[in-house]
Amino acid sequence: MLIAIARRLALSLVTLFMLAVFVFVATEIMPGDALDVSLSADEIAMIPPERLAQMKRDLGLDRPAHERLGAFLGGVVQLDFGRTLMSKTPVTTIVGYPYRNSLILAAAVLLVAIPFALAIGIAAAVWRGRPIDNIVSTVAVIGYSIPEFVIGTVLVMLFAVTWPIFPATITASTRDPALTLLAASPLAVATVVIGSVAYLARLVRTGMIEALASDFVERLRLTGIPEWRIVFRHALPAAIIPSLTAMALYAAALVSGIVVVELVFAYPGLGQELVRAVTRREVHVVQAIALGSAAIVVALNLLADLAILALDPRTRRA
Amino acid sequence: MNRIDRRNILKGGAGAALLATVGAVLPGEAAAQSQPQRGGTLVCAQLSANRRSAGPNNHRHPYFIVDANTKPIWSTPTWVNPQLGVELEIASKLEPADETLAVWDMTLREGVMFHDMTEMTAADATASFEYHRQNAPFARQITKVEQTGKYGVRFTLESGNAEFPYVLAEYNSPIMKAGPLETIGLDGIGTGPYRIVQSDPNRLMVLERFDGYWRKGFPYLDRIEIHNREGQQESALNGLRSGQFDAVLNIDARAAVQLANDPAFDIESSKGGYSFVIQLPKHPGSPWLDKRVRQAFAYAIDREAIVRIAYGGKYGWVSNDSHLMVTDPVFVPRPGGRDVAKAKQLLAEAGYPNGINLGALYWSPQLPEAGRYFQVLQQTVRDAGFTLTLDERPNDGYIQFRTGDNDFAKANFHKFAMTAVGSRNPGISLFRMRGAFVESGHWRGPEHDKYLALYNDAMVTADALKRKAIYAEMQAILHEEVPAILAAGGDTFLVKRKHIRNMPYHPQIWSIRFEEIWRA
Amino acid sequence: MILFLRRLSRRPLTMLGLALVGGHLAVAALAPWITPYDPLRLLEAPLEPPTATFWLGTDELGRDFFSRLLLGGQISIVAAACAGLIAAFGGGLLGLATAFYRGAFDDAVSRIVEMKLSIPAILLVSLFVTGFGQSLGVLILVMGLIYMMGVIRTSRALGMTLMEQGYVKAAKLRGETATAIILREMLPNIADLLTVEFALRTSSALLLVSALSFLGLGISPPTPDWGLMIQSGLQSIRSEPWLILAPALCVSTLVIGINFATEGVADLLGLEAARGATGQ
Repeated sequence: MLIAIARRLALSLVTLFMLAVFVFVATEIMPGDALDVSLSADEIAMIPPERLAQMKRDLGLDRPAHERLGAFLGGVVQLDFGRTLMSKTPVTTIVGYPYRNSLILAAAVLLVAIPFALAIGIAAAVWRGRPIDNIVSTVAVIGYSIPEFVIGTVLVMLFAVTWPIFPATITASTRDPALTLLAASPLAVATVVIGSVAYLARLVRTGMIEALASDFVERLRLTGIPEWRIVFRHALPAAIIPSLTAMALYAAALVSGIVVVELVFAYPGLGQELVRAVTRREVHVVQAIALGSAAIVVALNLLADLAILALDPRTRRA
Repeated sequence: MNRIDRRNILKGGAGAALLATVGAVLPGEAAAQSQPQRGGTLVCAQLSANRRSAGPNNHRHPYFIVDANTKPIWSTPTWVNPQLGVELEIASKLEPADETLAVWDMTLREGVMFHDMTEMTAADATASFEYHRQNAPFARQITKVEQTGKYGVRFTLESGNAEFPYVLAEYNSPIMKAGPLETIGLDGIGTGPYRIVQSDPNRLMVLERFDGYWRKGFPYLDRIEIHNREGQQESALNGLRSGQFDAVLNIDARAAVQLANDPAFDIESSKGGYSFVIQLPKHPGSPWLDKRVRQAFAYAIDREAIVRIAYGGKYGWVSNDSHLMVTDPVFVPRPGGRDVAKAKQLLAEAGYPNGINLGALYWSPQLPEAGRYFQVLQQTVRDAGFTLTLDERPNDGYIQFRTGDNDFAKANFHKFAMTAVGSRNPGISLFRMRGAFVESGHWRGPEHDKYLALYNDAMVTADALKRKAIYAEMQAILHEEVPAILAAGGDTFLVKRKHIRNMPYHPQIWSIRFEEIWRA
Repeated sequence: MILFLRRLSRRPLTMLGLALVGGHLAVAALAPWITPYDPLRLLEAPLEPPTATFWLGTDELGRDFFSRLLLGGQISIVAAACAGLIAAFGGGLLGLATAFYRGAFDDAVSRIVEMKLSIPAILLVSLFVTGFGQSLGVLILVMGLIYMMGVIRTSRALGMTLMEQGYVKAAKLRGETATAIILREMLPNIADLLTVEFALRTSSALLLVSALSFLGLGISPPTPDWGLMIQSGLQSIRSEPWLILAPALCVSTLVIGINFATEGVADLLGLEAARGATGQ
């Protein structure tokens, strides 16, 4: 058991390490020099060449790539992503709150979406092939086939403009407490939830159908245990195990969806910061965001693996 | 308040004998038309993107705040009124020291307090302009700024400039609290009617009334919240309709027309507010080096179509490839209209008989109509054989992006890109086409030198009519040389809820007087 | 085959899906011949309501909206299909190769897959697209690589079971080369799966392309494109709602169609691949 956990942890660390290298290489091959975009033409015209060379040295742009990679990895270990090129502020200062805010949004989405997904998925599996199952399956496909920005816009038109129940755009500040942010974002949460529930419910349904058809459930039925008890006490845990890995993988898609929705609603999260940083070639900020959001996905994968270890005795021998 | 000096502010004269009178309306009088109420909050969204990209250290510095937001926080020595006349603001006196118009003496108003309740003196003004002259394009003409007394400041300019008082009204000319060059302005402390109580970089600014403001009786509102919705007009208007915002600044003509039918809102507008400049980079190897290509491009654009489609016809105007607004009395229309045949012929003479591919024209939604504007332009120049793609860039960091790099050896040039141009006095507007400035695409050559010589000449010409003639000559050079393209411009609008009063639009958005706005 | 068709005809949703996909493909292919007007021409006053001459009115620039709608899927469909093809083919081969070689190669590829799956797609694409400019080629390549990761996973799993099959073992004993075994013995056996993967990845890519266009990072104007049309339609959602509803409907019906069709066909083919593939 302990060995299995240690193995999973080690694998996650390897993945994180490779992510860091990948992110560094990806930003490294982007054309253009970081200094070029951080100064205006008029400014550069006024700076003597020696001073420009000095600025490059200060930024470490004169060192070879492998040295910079080493320094980068060393920094990542200490959660230090360097300073921005333009304002010389620590990247963690810039990314910190948006990162927290995106986590808040993601957590809220999952908290709302998972219960719905479980209920819908179970119902669809239990009444497999009946009208409810067909409706759920159909609606699910439709749900994840509509782009998030369309769903978001429709929700705004309906529930903020036509019937002004919820705020149309998020006016909360980046550093507001979590509850203030969430109170301002019901439509943003709803938008991502609509896309996610459909997908997650299908995962639950598939897992549940397999579990309900398994031998051990058949045996339980023969013992005369009531069906609802079988569903919730025995089949559900078994169904969740295969769904968990798929759900953790879904986390990456969830982050993608959140990026788009953040921009639609002006939510002060990583989405806005990302677009800003990418186009300003704030290399260090992009690196931090890419690694940070990937770390969430890796962590969720790890959690899913550990949960499976805990729930399913067969895997403990890995 | 020194009424005589305010009235006598120079509008291009040399010495006291040449002082021209401007129809100066005292700020206090303008507001007295109704019975303003005190208190309340104004929550507004603004769509302009004119600022440098801010970070956690500098987001209270005036250069990193959107232009429209600087005026409530900082005061400038002079102020430009809605008729584009210049008036004294926290300078009580401003006059040239001699007939060269290259040395200017300023006396500051006494008893003006900063938000930390220290008095503003000449030390603050000299420290501020020492910073501006090294960092703001228009203030670079100041070669020296020195203190001549507790409230006295002397500016020495590169060359004479009769319109120098306008430079002191720029949003990059605020008086900040004195400090070393590296840190001045970062504290966000000004002498304006409102002080910053919260600033969320690039996103939100919360201001509260400053009780020690030098204009007695102002401001009316207790609090102002300004939300950045750069490039997101629809999001801002949804916020307005759902009651989150009281006003949205810089909406486009199309939105203004739609909202005008809604009894809940007032539309305020200003004629000739903005146009767009397309910089034509003239580095080695660029097709823009050839004057004929530039001329062909100028002939190929259907400017009328831009006015019709991007500005709904009556809210736009055809520009003349200079930075002047159509409302400016010295504005001279570009001779001859659109001429596709001539454009084709010029292109063929330049060696492109089958047309030319210009690559990407970079643009950013600095104003809501920008997308439509450049699509019409792209479409209409196709008729003359110009192919170009449109590459959208976000507002944030756009200024830094488009200005690129002046060093040709580094191969990262300023871009074939657009930017918004606000309305200014003729001196500042025409000065923007100088070869050292990126908006001119680093225009060079004898015609450019002639242009600059004319400019310097105009700046020391006292007679307004003579100056107008020189300005016309300068515009004729631009029509022939086409260093940059300014195809069309439009009016600017703001929308507000009915209970927000006395919030008129201003052709220079950064000159809106927020202290006079009140809430019924 | 007839049996298959008969079973297919009993699944209305699958039929609907096939019809939607077929319809969209037909329109996209025939669009150059059936569009009434040049989609780029500025013809009329902007935002004219639908009339007999302009069936859906004009857009914000005065171009014929119906013509633009017909053409609006072309580029994103081609881009998404190319990405799907790269993903299905590349992923299939790599997955089989890992199953064949196992060991260090398998470990390395699996690590890379897991790593790539951890970076949200939109982040990766926007990173590359902004770095290299808005080139369709870069977009297709990056999307193809992203979606390849999921395909490697499924084809590797299937490859593992194939390795246990008699004919693969026999081929090995005959001394056939690795390339021959993978291409001739194994690949045909996962063709069904790869077809389904291709369809699903294409539908994900379609959504991604439209999201990127919406953010201004995908297809550039004036090319008619649904994502771009949705973005500019936002402006007139209250006065001319069809300008946003029509392109939104087009993207959605196409993606829905692909999903319905693939699911039904996969079900009939006895493939479980349809499950949970749309995530990334």
